[in-house]
Amino acid sequence: MPAIETEDLTKRYGDVTALSSLSLSVPEGELFGLLGPNGSGKTTTIEILTGQLDPTEGSASVLGHDPVVDPLAVREAVGILPEREDPPSFLTPREYLQFVGDVRDLSGVDDRIAEWADRLGFVDTLDTISTDLSEGERQRVMLAQTFIHEPDLVFIDEPLVNLDPIMQAEVKDHMRDYCDRGNTLFLSTHFLEVAEQLCTSVGIVRDGELVAERDPRDLDPDEQLLDYFRREVEPEGATGGIPAGGATGESGR
Amino acid sequence: MSGADTTAPDDTTRAGGGGSGPSGLSTRLLARMIREEWRLQAELFGDRFALFPLVIAVVAGLGVWLLTVAGTSIDAVAAGLHGLVFFFGLQVGTIGLVGRDALRDVLGDVTLLVFSARTLPVTWRRLLGVFVVKDLLYYSGLFLVPMAVGYAAVALSAGQPAGTVALLWLTTTGAFALGVGTSLTLTGVGTRSRAAVLALVAAAAAGILTGRLDIVALSPYGFYLDPSLRSAALGFGPALALAVAGPLAFQPVESGGARSAPQRYERVRSAIRDDGGVATRTLLEVTRSSGSVWKVLFSMGVLFGVTVLLVREVARATTLAPSYGIAVGTLLGLGAFTTYSWVTQFDSAEEYLRLPLSLSAAFAGKRTAFLVLSVPAGLVYLVGSLVWLPPAQVVVGAVVFPLVAVYVFGITAYVTGFAPNELLFDTPLFVAFGAALAAVAVPLVVAALAYTEAPTVAVGVSVGVSLLAAAVGVVLSNRAGPRWQRNLR
Repeated sequence: MPAIETEDLTKRYGDVTALSSLSLSVPEGELFGLLGPNGSGKTTTIEILTGQLDPTEGSASVLGHDPVVDPLAVREAVGILPEREDPPSFLTPREYLQFVGDVRDLSGVDDRIAEWADRLGFVDTLDTISTDLSEGERQRVMLAQTFIHEPDLVFIDEPLVNLDPIMQAEVKDHMRDYCDRGNTLFLSTHFLEVAEQLCTSVGIVRDGELVAERDPRDLDPDEQLLDYFRREVEPEGATGGIPAGGATGESGR
Repeated sequence: MSGADTTAPDDTTRAGGGGSGPSGLSTRLLARMIREEWRLQAELFGDRFALFPLVIAVVAGLGVWLLTVAGTSIDAVAAGLHGLVFFFGLQVGTIGLVGRDALRDVLGDVTLLVFSARTLPVTWRRLLGVFVVKDLLYYSGLFLVPMAVGYAAVALSAGQPAGTVALLWLTTTGAFALGVGTSLTLTGVGTRSRAAVLALVAAAAAGILTGRLDIVALSPYGFYLDPSLRSAALGFGPALALAVAGPLAFQPVESGGARSAPQRYERVRSAIRDDGGVATRTLLEVTRSSGSVWKVLFSMGVLFGVTVLLVREVARATTLAPSYGIAVGTLLGLGAFTTYSWVTQFDSAEEYLRLPLSLSAAFAGKRTAFLVLSVPAGLVYLVGSLVWLPPAQVVVGAVVFPLVAVYVFGITAYVTGFAPNELLFDTPLFVAFGAALAAVAVPLVVAALAYTEAPTVAVGVSVGVSLLAAAVGVVLSNRAGPRWQRNLR
């Protein structure tokens, strides 16, 4: 059974179509990257798959649960790291993770917190009020809340934003290791080199439509993911658009 | 705002360009802040908020008319309006200016000019001072002018001279400024020393209780009663002094790596027997934000004081002897709305939609936190009033207050969800909310007034109405989760 399966998933806001007939299947153990320009529908896709938004049309299955019918079951089973989300300002990382543990009804929360603080390097700031943490430190706490319950599937919107290069490398290793153990990771990112290095499959969305799907390891030796991405997202004859290097920190819905 | 440079070189020598002086810079800042505020409101609420002044005028006119029909003199109404506006100013100052975190959390991810001290050669004090003036102008235009228009419609037909009506607008604006200035100054002093705040409040309370501090003469209401040069200086002087002192006293708090005891969360959770964690995190967030739990106590205290003054005025102006207990219980319960805004200030429904937690459970946690914060704060004042009130009246107040608070929680959760501040400028929402509050407040106020003639019936009715309101509140707060779950998805 695929970890994620969607059929004709569509989301409209009045006259605006944020997502149009998205059909995809992500097998278990896959590190799937959803790529696309700003406003192409990546975040909307994640929000529908995790039961935060209802689709206008179509259906989805996440680890066997229907996110429309039973969103809590989906969110119990998965981890979610939204883009640009900080831990609550006036809680410490320890308190926030305790709160997440309470909501998720986890056992051995203190041990889990200690383990993730050690792994992501925030042991020294565990009891510091979050408003006094740096952006990178906050991102580490958010990564910890994503994985603390050891979910089988994780949705991540821009995982490496604000992290220093060493921590970026460690998080990449962790994500690879996580999928090697049979878990599934659904990644949304603008950082093409991250997708190129990590993903076992990528889907490219443009204007709410899935326009391409492929394994980046199957690219021709002289072809980069950026070239492929450009071909798929840019209208014929258009020039420019995606800057050389392909990695941007911009965000969009 | 952290890191704002209060000791920066004088911005007037570096900023502005074009040869403009300090007043030119402030004027330009003010114009841009007003434009910014307008666009912010238009962005948040569309054009609906433009209807707000009309609603205020109608509500004010109706309220004044009803009071006069009920036998209240127009002078007593004017006194009450000054008190209410002063209270409103205090609230605006408390909510909007309690500190950097409040500004940030109330306004969310919005970058405003008032945050510019770090990036522009403008001092924090100038920005805050201009911000206060902007707020005064803004609220004066949106609330005080329409309120004066509503009052004028009734007062002129009752034979009040036009000059007095115009004077009321001026002095209520002053009362609003006095409220904002008081909040701001206490907050500013609080950024330096909390003990100093307590000392100031204690000194003011002692002055009022011993009769050494004539609060009427030292407020713009004194000028309304006796328009003379001396009363103008006495009445508006404190408001001006506080409006200047507030920004001067304010000291932005540097990010200091504040730490907490590792077991704090567990201790709070055990103390309130909170399984879900929402109530625990909310209590920690409110207590750690600027003003801590003191802001709850402060706003309840203001309400308590205003209610006592209003009841006293009604008793003086009429032959009635209203029930302090019912009136105070009702107003404290209604005023718990402020506590609702604090318990929902630091998170969002969207955050809970990403967790395996229903919004019903989130609202249940919020209700626990709301009651833990508001009920003891209100009871402090009710118990304190035993000094001059008979215990029977205090007991009635202590029964009415928490029941009305439960109703206020339910209606606010149901109507506004996690964004109670939207009420301020969403006219249809404001009208619906106001009507829902009036449905409970009116019979309770009538019961408080009827206490003179039929005390037993009045107490019975007020307890009955409060119980019914609380039941409705529980039902509404239980329905708030599914409602917002549907709306947000």
